[in-house]
Amino acid sequence: MLTRRDFHKTLAAVALTSLATGKTAKANIAPFNNLVLNRLTFGANAQSHTEIETLGVREWVEQQLSLPAEDDDLTTRLNAIRLLIEYEEGRSENDKPWDAVSEYRALQYLQTDPADLLHFLDFDEPFDFGERERPAAEVIAASLTRAVHAPAQLREVMTQFWHEHFSVNAMKDEVTAIFFPSYDALMRTHAFGNFRVLLGEVARAPSMLAYLNNDSSRASPANENFARELLELHTLGQENYFNDLYDDWKAVPGALNGVAEGYVDQDVYEVARALTGWSIGDGRETDEGTYSPETGQFAYVESWHDPYQKRILGQEFSANSAPMEDGDRVLDMLAAHPGTARFVTRKMLCRLGIEDPSTAYHDLVAEVFHKQRNAPDQIAQTLRAIIFHDEFSTTPAKKLRRPFEYLTAIYRTSGSEISPRSDAFHWMLKQAGWSQHRVNPPTGHSDDSADWANTATINGMVKLALECHAEWFEADTGTLRTPPKGVSNFGQLAAYWERRYNTADGALDPVLTALDVESDSALWDDGEDLEWISSGMIAALSLTPEFMFR
Amino acid sequence: MAKDPILVVLFLRGGADGLNLIAPSGDTDYIAARPPFLRVVRKGDDAGHLLSHQVADVDFRFHSQAGELAELFEAKELAVIHAAGLTDGTRSHFDAEDRMERAANGTNAGGWLGRWLNGAGLEGELPALAVGTSAPESTRGSSDVAVAEQMEQLIIAADHDLSPLLRKRLRAGFGSHDLLGAPIERLITLSQTLETRLLNPETGELGPYRPSVDYPEENTLSEPLRTVAQAIKLDLGMRVATVDFGGWDTHMDQSGDFADQTATLSSALMAFWRDLGEAREHTCVVVMSEFGRRLRSNSSGGTDHGFGNAMMVLGGTVDGGKMLGEWPGLVNDALDDGADLAITTDYRHVLGEVMNKHMAAQDLNAIFPDFTHQPRGVFG
Repeated sequence: MLTRRDFHKTLAAVALTSLATGKTAKANIAPFNNLVLNRLTFGANAQSHTEIETLGVREWVEQQLSLPAEDDDLTTRLNAIRLLIEYEEGRSENDKPWDAVSEYRALQYLQTDPADLLHFLDFDEPFDFGERERPAAEVIAASLTRAVHAPAQLREVMTQFWHEHFSVNAMKDEVTAIFFPSYDALMRTHAFGNFRVLLGEVARAPSMLAYLNNDSSRASPANENFARELLELHTLGQENYFNDLYDDWKAVPGALNGVAEGYVDQDVYEVARALTGWSIGDGRETDEGTYSPETGQFAYVESWHDPYQKRILGQEFSANSAPMEDGDRVLDMLAAHPGTARFVTRKMLCRLGIEDPSTAYHDLVAEVFHKQRNAPDQIAQTLRAIIFHDEFSTTPAKKLRRPFEYLTAIYRTSGSEISPRSDAFHWMLKQAGWSQHRVNPPTGHSDDSADWANTATINGMVKLALECHAEWFEADTGTLRTPPKGVSNFGQLAAYWERRYNTADGALDPVLTALDVESDSALWDDGEDLEWISSGMIAALSLTPEFMFR
Repeated sequence: MAKDPILVVLFLRGGADGLNLIAPSGDTDYIAARPPFLRVVRKGDDAGHLLSHQVADVDFRFHSQAGELAELFEAKELAVIHAAGLTDGTRSHFDAEDRMERAANGTNAGGWLGRWLNGAGLEGELPALAVGTSAPESTRGSSDVAVAEQMEQLIIAADHDLSPLLRKRLRAGFGSHDLLGAPIERLITLSQTLETRLLNPETGELGPYRPSVDYPEENTLSEPLRTVAQAIKLDLGMRVATVDFGGWDTHMDQSGDFADQTATLSSALMAFWRDLGEAREHTCVVVMSEFGRRLRSNSSGGTDHGFGNAMMVLGGTVDGGKMLGEWPGLVNDALDDGADLAITTDYRHVLGEVMNKHMAAQDLNAIFPDFTHQPRGVFG
């Protein structure tokens, strides 16, 4: 007699054969529209399908560029988050006690004036470190909800882009942590704005100042950490670093005509000098008996500034300029530099799915960025130049979704309700190689697909696909535990997920077999069992090239 | 039968301050350039560990927190090559790491380990392991590399009923996919092997790795090195392992951070070395970093990016207990660009010697193209 197991094995073989012969995919959406959504959002979903099919690509993009950062529904969702905070009792440095805490607490710092958080910097105050880094933890939790649910998807994609471009480890210490909500707001506010304005805000942002130590940089010798990354990561890029010339500034092409094409180590040292005194208004002692104001903002410490003459990118800076003039002039030069236009637009193209643009395409985009350098919507104009170009539509979907994008795309496709309750999602992403807002080196995450094509990331994605709806994961609010509307048996459930994934009828037949269920059997009542079945279907549909590449 | 040699490359990311790790503690220029908390001192509780063999008469000492490294040195298992590094002047982390790990000009594909792996044509299930969540640039170009933080992370959905189905789909769906085909194939193969080796056949539960010594707790390097030891003992044909250890970019308040980093490195490396047991005889560990740090400290109590640095080689067949190379000194004229420790040993001389003498690579030109190799006596 055929055992139940053998019977299913036979079925699986049949189903796999039918999969191989290739049934036609359901044409829910024009392929190009789907590609656009997958490049410009955290994953195409049912709602965005409808929007783009109704509006057309151009109008849809314009709508995305005009949507405000905040939205009532999103605010409601952020307000509904209850994020775990848990620590043991302890004592401050001057022996004041605090009690143990374990509770699911609402987010309270996303909009708080940083001046009101300065007490977290005082280690005489009785706070566990969990309280001190809570503002950063809140941003990280909110970033998942925003990526999945924000209507202004393109703004969220660009917010994440700028976070990676101006990468800060939010959890480096209590200073980066308490200022991280305002840092996050900066990226979102200026996501489509002007690069020079954004650059100026970043150079004055306490999170960045603390992360790359410029807050302690004073004459003399200056601390070079921020200056180097400003040149290498934020503006001119490694491609414009003439490393072999070191201090021979005259040898850099263009330097003698006043516009050096790139930088040498000596420029790093000089930029560091130009930025001495750019610090934080957190009440720190700057000179004996003198303290920076407790504003929770940028603060300039004149007595720390190196006022003497400098030469940067071939240009002379005279001594004793006005407060902050040296630094602002450096930022002006860098933001207006054609090398910066090329470097930044290359990264933008890459982020939006074009890893290997033709020179002509890249030139055109870089030119828009450079020409519009004084426009308030410089970045939006650059995005249009990228998106409304033939090569954007003719470039095949060959960019691998990175772990965070993969997770959010699964959630958006499955239509899940996301409200993170702990940082379990962070630890799972970490196994796949992703640390949301917590990368240690200032390079941030790689955006090159090849760097993610490895066993750790792939297996991490398998785990994410299987586990991301589980209760312990504490992100999904239980979407999969009730059957979708009109679904009463397993065959219908499979059809439901096939439709959501825009894939062929019968693609899930082998899964039904492996799960040992008949397609006309009624769904089980138990929510956990149902979640388990749907998770299996989602994992199978998520582990395909069609889903993993955009 | 002699076991195949194994190479472990431990990369200190961020530019480790070699002048604070293995320091010319008696050099007057050194003493003049740094406050006591940013150098190794000769007296008191924090006195460094004097090396019994010196490359110059400047009282070289290991940092006070590097006791285990000093022990390995005195046991003649560890050799030190000072004033080594990348001679293309670059003080960018990422540029320096890329150049070092590619170890070739633009026309030669991949990284130095990748080129060796491709030439060696290894057939083991796990020719190379990059511990972490991404492979370093040095292994670029080879499809022989598995990436994992722990060995069990190479098992696909260990406790999930759908695991067989997912494997089937991964294999069928990606087959010859240009980007994911090779890593998926390696993951599936390793997953099958590791399931039988690591999981309890009765319960399906993971059997923990039981090292032969205790690794230090609350030490970020313990787990990565334990993973390497486990991989070696699993005997899956592993020839190369890479481990990245970050946190050495000490621009600010270096003193405490550097002491912690050094203690972490020193104690975990010693535990790993003891854990290996007999495998020490055919294993070699290279410790390197992208550059050293500035001789003079900055005004934030830290040091900025410099140039020359110390390298270390640990191995059962290393002619240890010696400082090798030449010490250029720290007087102003001897410094690179008047600021940094000069380089007297191109790092490729050291790696080349390890590849040739330890790994038995015959064609060094294929690994380090356009480079004239001169051994420094790491293996005598």
